[in-house]
Amino acid sequence: MAHARADAPAGTSSAATIVPGGAPRNPAGISSTPPPPRPKRPRLHRREHLVAAAFVAIPVVGFLVFTLYPLGYSFYASLTSWNGLSDPQFIGLKNYVTMAGDPYFRKALFNTFFLMIGIPIGLILSLVLALALNRKMAGTTFFRTIYYIPVISSLAAIAILWQWAYNGDFGLVNQALGLVGIDGPNWLMDKDTVKPALIIMSVWKGLGYSMLLYLAAIQSVPRSLYEAASLDGANAFQQFRSITLPMVRPVTFFLVVTSIIGGAQIFIEINIMTPTGGPEFSSASVVWYIWQKAFENLQMGYASAMSIVLGLIVFVITAIQFRVNARNSFSVD
Amino acid sequence: MKKSRLTTALAGTTIVTSMLVAGCSGGGGNDDGSKKLTFMFRGGEDEKAAYEKAVQAFETANDVEVDIIVTTADDYNTKLKAAITGRQIPDVFYIAPGDVQGYVNNGVVKDITEYVEGSETIDLDNVWAYGVDSYRYDGTLQGQGAIYALPKDVGPFSFGYNKTMFDAAGIPLPDPDVPLTFDEFVAISKQLTVDKDGDGAVDQWGTGLNVQWNLQPFVWSNGGDWLNEDRTEVTVDTPEFAETLQWFADLTNVEKVTPSPAEAQTLDTYQRWMKGEIGFFPVAPWDISTYEKLDFEWDLIPYPVGSTGETATWTGTLGIAVSNTTEYPEEATKLVEFLAADATAQQSLVDAGIQVPNLKDMAQTWVDDSTTQPANKQEFLQIVEDYGRPLPANNTYNGEWYDELFTNIQPVLDGDVTAEAYLKEAQPKMQAFLDSANEQAEQAAALN
Repeated sequence: MAHARADAPAGTSSAATIVPGGAPRNPAGISSTPPPPRPKRPRLHRREHLVAAAFVAIPVVGFLVFTLYPLGYSFYASLTSWNGLSDPQFIGLKNYVTMAGDPYFRKALFNTFFLMIGIPIGLILSLVLALALNRKMAGTTFFRTIYYIPVISSLAAIAILWQWAYNGDFGLVNQALGLVGIDGPNWLMDKDTVKPALIIMSVWKGLGYSMLLYLAAIQSVPRSLYEAASLDGANAFQQFRSITLPMVRPVTFFLVVTSIIGGAQIFIEINIMTPTGGPEFSSASVVWYIWQKAFENLQMGYASAMSIVLGLIVFVITAIQFRVNARNSFSVD
Repeated sequence: MKKSRLTTALAGTTIVTSMLVAGCSGGGGNDDGSKKLTFMFRGGEDEKAAYEKAVQAFETANDVEVDIIVTTADDYNTKLKAAITGRQIPDVFYIAPGDVQGYVNNGVVKDITEYVEGSETIDLDNVWAYGVDSYRYDGTLQGQGAIYALPKDVGPFSFGYNKTMFDAAGIPLPDPDVPLTFDEFVAISKQLTVDKDGDGAVDQWGTGLNVQWNLQPFVWSNGGDWLNEDRTEVTVDTPEFAETLQWFADLTNVEKVTPSPAEAQTLDTYQRWMKGEIGFFPVAPWDISTYEKLDFEWDLIPYPVGSTGETATWTGTLGIAVSNTTEYPEEATKLVEFLAADATAQQSLVDAGIQVPNLKDMAQTWVDDSTTQPANKQEFLQIVEDYGRPLPANNTYNGEWYDELFTNIQPVLDGDVTAEAYLKEAQPKMQAFLDSANEQAEQAAALN
């Protein structure tokens, strides 16, 4: 609706021969003539512009108030000592210096990236699943639904369920392992198993979403490509490698970028499943550490500085990915 | 039509914006002019029920409406801090002693000295001094000066033993007036650690203690401490401290009188104690309502003593404070006083088995009542009045330095690192956090 109305002023203005700047067209050399009359329906024109501006204003104001202002303020706060209660005290770059020497920040950063091991695993699994579910066989709709249920479930609820499943004594996971004679660890209480446990959960949670995107991408690959390839004698694996994989590339790129951005901000499952940051700080993520500093220790300034650094890291990684993608891109047209 | 289009768009923007703004404000009194307070606290089911009852009595007596916000113990701190930073401070709320300095310096809690001292309904001499003093602060040192909260309770963290188990093993019961020594404690624990059903696996242990809550009594009794007198230096790298921590870890690794880390992981020692598998275990007042239902007999004894020969432990406490921004300071303070010191309210909380009475005279009656568990209730009162100490982080600006000790302590408990080596490594890190806390305290005090 907003779109249709936003178009309207453009139409009117061209009818009134007005360039976007608002100045009337004035052929060169006829400078002596008085200025041409003002456009015909100026009120309507102005009104249309106002309407457009009012609609544009909603997202713009939203962006200014809820994104740009907090971002700017975070940057300012990162240069202060601020507990969130009294006024911030400017201290220059001291927070950044502290951060450089803070072993917990480094550990949280390491943990966060370690947990991203789940991203390639999830991508491979979901591609395999998408290929399997793309075949004409009974029950595909059923399985698609099953895999999609975790995606639409609340992450908090899922985290609590998995927390129970990982319980060392009566959890579902260890009971299942017990059936095949394995004495499972206490997953979330052991510093060596807590990260794999979180990775397994996040792979499971994200599988349906990536699978659905891959499925759509696979189904939009033109049949003619496969036909031509099989006429040339390419076997199924060669077809997959040379046709399917390159054709779903944009989806892979999209998933990698969004997963890394999302993975850098992992928080909810950490905070619910390991509320103290895990044994020996082994599952604390950067956002969890930021949250702890800001709201447990009331060090808003330091927390803001860490947020800024995290934001920069994510920005740089994403920029690199776009660079690499642009270099490798191609067209099949 | 076109006019309405513009109006619609503008109206839309205005409505959205104003809703967002409205969403950020709110709270405060009622539209009909009656007085309304919010009271935020934490606790389990028993506690919640007991406090709801007490609050109802207050409402009826004072013609004030009280909205209750109750959270679990784990969530409380986060939710309160979020409310404070969001300027949605409840009128009356629980406050930990470790937060007093920060909240006072930043004007979050109200100075209620004048009201409390001038009040006719509360006699401060009849309330545990430790409870009140924990919430005094004169701007530089906590423990003296103006009163910023009244104690919700005092929590003497005492030690207990499974009487039934001792009787079955034929071990003479420990004397409640003469504390065991470390060595006697280990010797008895060894006698209690047995394989009862003969399947080759130990199923009864002497003890099983959580380092975060049980290390303090032993360290103190052995002559160590966390801080120096003026709270500027972390002293965990002393030989006394290291010796105690090593002894504590050796209970598991050398003496083997506790469940192994793996066994403790599958079922924690608290559950095992309640199943009757553990001989010695800590007992605090808030445990009474749960422990009363256990199918074995238990009683209190002083903590085992180290080189100083003096028993020691900590007394926890939580205060009830009034927000500086409350619309009804008088009613809010009255509610605090009611919950902390009203005889009827206290009685209902004590009957619920969740705390020791705040009022000294009532506590004596409670101790003398031999019909309720535990028999040696006197031990609780001795801790409060005599030998209980505040937790190390209670009187510093924040607890980061203290938490640091426990974050990486597991390898010591597993026997992979010696206590001495660990403490040597931990001390500088803790010191850095303490320095930063003291710096923040100075900075905040300078702003006032």
